[in-house]
Amino acid sequence: MKSRCVLAKGALFALLLMTGLSGCSSVQPWEKQNLAKTEMTFEGDRLDTGYTEHIYSSKEASSGGAGVGGGGCGCN
Amino acid sequence: MDYVTVKSSNRKSRVVGALLASAALLLPSAKNALADAAPEQGIVSMKYLNYHDSQTGDSDLTAGMSKDRMTVNALSFMGMVPIAGKWSVAATFIEDSVTGASPAYHGWGFPEDTTSGASGDLRHAGDLNVTRYFSRGTLTLGTSYSQESDYKSLGCSLNGTLSTESRNTTFSFGTAFNSDTIDLNKEAVVHKQADPGHKTVFSSLLGVTQVMSQNDIMQMTVTLTHGYGHYSDPYKNYDLRPGHRNMVTFMTRWNHHFDGPNGTTRLSYRYYSDSFGIQSHTLDAEYVQPLPKGWEITPSLRYYSQSAADFYVPTGDNPRDYTPVTGLEHYSEDQRLSAFGAFSYGIKVSKELGRSWTTDVKYEHCEQRYNWGINGKGDPGIPTFNMSAIQVGLSRKF
Repeated sequence: MKSRCVLAKGALFALLLMTGLSGCSSVQPWEKQNLAKTEMTFEGDRLDTGYTEHIYSSKEASSGGAGVGGGGCGCN
Repeated sequence: MDYVTVKSSNRKSRVVGALLASAALLLPSAKNALADAAPEQGIVSMKYLNYHDSQTGDSDLTAGMSKDRMTVNALSFMGMVPIAGKWSVAATFIEDSVTGASPAYHGWGFPEDTTSGASGDLRHAGDLNVTRYFSRGTLTLGTSYSQESDYKSLGCSLNGTLSTESRNTTFSFGTAFNSDTIDLNKEAVVHKQADPGHKTVFSSLLGVTQVMSQNDIMQMTVTLTHGYGHYSDPYKNYDLRPGHRNMVTFMTRWNHHFDGPNGTTRLSYRYYSDSFGIQSHTLDAEYVQPLPKGWEITPSLRYYSQSAADFYVPTGDNPRDYTPVTGLEHYSEDQRLSAFGAFSYGIKVSKELGRSWTTDVKYEHCEQRYNWGINGKGDPGIPTFNMSAIQVGLSRKF
């Protein structure tokens, strides 16, 4: 029961924020040179991210957040 | 550019707009700004990791509990190939080797043979993702596996994005399924059983990425995960966890570009909560600074704090002794389920070698302490935990 309540509150909070965000800027295509830089994307160095997320998820109770998919592991 | 003049005439505005849009498309970086566009170049990369952790008994209670724990050496490869301008195929493969040991309970109870237990193991893992690019979206089908002597995991996932016409807002969604099998008949398993344990995990994600200005982009995601099956650690002496776990993760990330130094800050915050009773906060910050002659330097900081699981059993007067768990339905003396806080710092240096090659080196250090958290009182019988990692990578675009 407690976990369902946590799930519902979290999802509702995030969806409200998402709805509020959309459409709050009008940047034109020719103004996106800086946004197109590699360091401005959220993907980053895939192998670096893989190592780093694996290290922290094996030594902390929390994991995930940036995406779904990928293999599980016996270390956590 | 004179915006007043552009606005003064609809026809002139359309002409100027079209010219600017055409000019923007000639810039490779601007073309890549379209998140839905297929990549123009493929990439292959490899990375080596050396990881080491240890614990330090630096209080009256934990004096004499200092110990080296685990070392990991890993090598990983990644390749991504664009196909026909509408598809891409990406794959990663990793092999890691673990030596050393982790404590059987709290911060103590190390096996005499330091290659027993969950360590002294070789793990192979990989994933394959196929992406189809549409005019305003993407669809990615993925599969993954991970295998070690006592654990096998198979997974599949479906992820997608959908952008608004302006491409200033991108909605993302994803769902994933994992089926894990745990060998519970190995010599070091505490409570052996002939039948393997199973764990099944479903995850789903919703997110939005929003361009906030010419120099700011923000992303928010919420991830819901439901798992059931064998969650107990077979190598811990006192560990009997609930057979299901629900998790909620809320993550927000903000990247800002500074025109003056041409640098970028990358900030993120993650809130995590699960049905074990654990809540955590994670703050990440890094600053990417390009330098002349293809050099780039990225310092980073991280703070993490978590509360204890509802069924975590703390140390008693002597942290070298286990705490009796008689009569408890669920219990764990795994220090990873205790309340603590952690600070990390790191630095990454990369260098472009000509047009196609890039090499990089990264160092990261993290320290966990029972009294650094903000999610409740920690366990003073847990020694300070340190971990360091060095990565060396090489990649080539083609």
